[in-house]
Amino acid sequence: MLKVLERTDLGKAIRLHVVKSNKFKTNLIGIYIQRPLIRKEATKNSMLSMLLNKGTKKYPSFFQLNRRLEDLYGGILVSDVAKKGEKHILKLKMQLPNSKYINNKDILKEGLAILNDIINNPLADNEGFKKESFLQEKENLKEKIEGRINDKMRFAVDRCAEIMCEDENYSIYEYGSINELDEIDEKSLYEYYNYILTSSPIDVFVVGDIEEDEVRELFSESLEFDRGDIITIPRETISKEIHKVKEVQDRFNINQGKLTLGYRTNIPYESELYESSILFSNILGGGPNSKLFKNVREKESLCYYIFSKIDKFKSIMLVSSGIEFNKYEKTKELIIKEVDSLKNGNFDEEDIEIAKKSIITSIKSLTDTPNILMDFLYSQSLSNSFDSIENIISKIRAVSKESIIEAGKKFQLDTIYFLNKEEEGR
Amino acid sequence: MIQKEIYSDILREKINYRKLENGLEIFVLPKKDYTKKFAIFGTRYGSIDNKFIVPGEGDVTEVPEGIAHFLEHKLFESEEGGVFDRFSKLGSNVNAYTNFNSTCYLFSCTDNFYENLEILIDFVQSPYLTDENVEKEKGIIEQEIRMYEDDPNWRVFFNGLRGLYSNHPVKIDIAGTIESIYKINKEQLYKCYNTFYVPNNMVVFVVGDVDIDETCNTIEKNLKSTFKSFEGQVERILPHEPDEVKQKKLEEKLSVSMPLFNIVFKNIDNFLEGRDLLRKDIQSKIILHIIFGNSSKLYQKLYNDGLINENFETEYTFDISYGHSIIGGESKDPDRVYEIICEEIKNIRNKGLNQEDFERIKRKSIGQHISSYNSVEFIANTFISYYFKGINLFDYITELNNLDFESVSRRFNEHFDLSKSVLSLIKPNK
Repeated sequence: MLKVLERTDLGKAIRLHVVKSNKFKTNLIGIYIQRPLIRKEATKNSMLSMLLNKGTKKYPSFFQLNRRLEDLYGGILVSDVAKKGEKHILKLKMQLPNSKYINNKDILKEGLAILNDIINNPLADNEGFKKESFLQEKENLKEKIEGRINDKMRFAVDRCAEIMCEDENYSIYEYGSINELDEIDEKSLYEYYNYILTSSPIDVFVVGDIEEDEVRELFSESLEFDRGDIITIPRETISKEIHKVKEVQDRFNINQGKLTLGYRTNIPYESELYESSILFSNILGGGPNSKLFKNVREKESLCYYIFSKIDKFKSIMLVSSGIEFNKYEKTKELIIKEVDSLKNGNFDEEDIEIAKKSIITSIKSLTDTPNILMDFLYSQSLSNSFDSIENIISKIRAVSKESIIEAGKKFQLDTIYFLNKEEEGR
Repeated sequence: MIQKEIYSDILREKINYRKLENGLEIFVLPKKDYTKKFAIFGTRYGSIDNKFIVPGEGDVTEVPEGIAHFLEHKLFESEEGGVFDRFSKLGSNVNAYTNFNSTCYLFSCTDNFYENLEILIDFVQSPYLTDENVEKEKGIIEQEIRMYEDDPNWRVFFNGLRGLYSNHPVKIDIAGTIESIYKINKEQLYKCYNTFYVPNNMVVFVVGDVDIDETCNTIEKNLKSTFKSFEGQVERILPHEPDEVKQKKLEEKLSVSMPLFNIVFKNIDNFLEGRDLLRKDIQSKIILHIIFGNSSKLYQKLYNDGLINENFETEYTFDISYGHSIIGGESKDPDRVYEIICEEIKNIRNKGLNQEDFERIKRKSIGQHISSYNSVEFIANTFISYYFKGINLFDYITELNNLDFESVSRRFNEHFDLSKSVLSLIKPNK
């Protein structure tokens, strides 16, 4: 059985969350360091995510560290950043096989020692991070930022949200910007790292087939954190007056156009209408039974993929599809028409039932994948809502047609973005 | 009916196997405490099967490229309405995929498992094709093909295969081309369906917290009387494929920030079976990790020289009639990467692989293989994919444990032959 155990403190503003389940063959550890999403920090956080997994004082190169992980039966270490509304999360995760399946009963302890080393003994001295690897990762991050255009499907969605929120911190790209990157050196980054270690709220998670008491003891013994004054990170604002719908195009040398429409839902996750807004988006473009799939894909053969999704923290809905360039106007109008039609209540009890079931299935399913479960629990922790899965499900079940319409009427179209081909003759 | 249990002590998993009178094979892997239940109904029929002889017919049937994938799309249509609706009403997710060798229909659910299973078994047996609904699908698939045209990873991969193979249909894009799909008609689709969607060419795989007997009974009860294996074997016609590669270097321009490369090695010792085929797969994967993995000297050099970044991966892909290793990534100077890789391979051909590296990588592979059994999707998809190649996936961990250094060294010398390699490049178009 899956058991989400009580949270305990490992130190000032450090919460340990233990999830026990004997069905997994692995133990997954996650460390989440919370920062505000702001321009002067985002690129630094992103740089840190590139540097931290590249070596420690004990394993002073990427290759030595990787060899150590291979010795631990292919332990997987990932460091990354994630954008959660207007919060920026620096994540470190380590997956190890459970000792029951392999010939090393201390594997969890040995893995934790590596994690502790990564956090407290990075490749640095008084002069800052080791220059060589700093410069190398700076170059890699530059490539990564420039490389965001390579995945056009994702780029079209992210760009729409950016243009939509251009005056807000939400528009900051999670991997940062080249301009900011130019300003960072190994010394200032190291100072910044020490500052965030002492000042950020931190959440530590472990999901696996573990003994609760042992784990608590092991974690407080194995992980050290130096703490100072803890920052408070404000909640993002979600509403903005829309004077005119923005319509923006970028041009690339491509074969398929990508259309994205950005809506402000104006419904915060704390609102009683939040679940209704999720249902609205699901009925619209949640899956193969949605209005958009049926009417834009199946009826009109305009696209292969079309979906809508909601950002919980920023309360925006993004609708995206890949289409023929000359079908831009037609598809755009069709999508707007479908949204308006839903706002006017043109959907039935069956549509609602199907949407509810599909949401409930995905909520139940997330307990089967340690990594997804962990991110879900962290997202709950961020919004300070610790509803059990059963509670979330009953909230979804309780939503009525009236409240979906009420929620939908608050949705406002903000931005229409199109990734177009280059003009002929250029 | 034949019935047996397959165990793996190392994985601590058990599969229940049944073979029905009509030839259909069923596998059930119970996963206690999982909320998700996952089922696949698959046929050993993929994009490479576009030339065949139906038993009793003298003539060779040749069908347009991309027809297996087209048929996969069309099976979601039924006389009484869309298949998606039937699953949606139960809150489950249905999907399908076509690859080189198989077409698989699948669903995942948390509730009403047996009802979902009924629908899966039913819709895959019930094609409903009209001239009109075949026509309508062409626009949708055209957009799917366009989507892949802008996917640099897909393009660099397929260009590599086009360089590797002169004749083997693995070089053809799974979805076909916009030209080929517009040639597809109802009659051809039915012919492919009737040839390959027969019990002795198909498998059902179920994983989750389910009851074995009820699962098998549900499947059996929903088999139609028309769902029958025919006498004789379909003859799949593969053209002769030379050992040599077709073209050493291929280049395409796309809207990307920096060049992408795939370096591909062609397997020449094909048409093995069962464990022999499996061992070759495992050996190849281990070698790729030893030479190119992120703990290797080569990786270290390329990374430190700024020639590769974290997007650097390797893969060994195979079927009975082909196999290839792929080394792929992004680089400012992919030609230099290729040169350095060639030097390293020559070097290892002289000096041999390092046994310590082998032991470490073997241990890593064992740990990661066991860990992958967390995922019901991994289990079902991988099991079916290996099963269609004549391999039992549970043998993977056994063979991996028994793997010795000498056999890996031999495999290196056989497979990593620079004359059998191709460099595929995608360069920025401005």
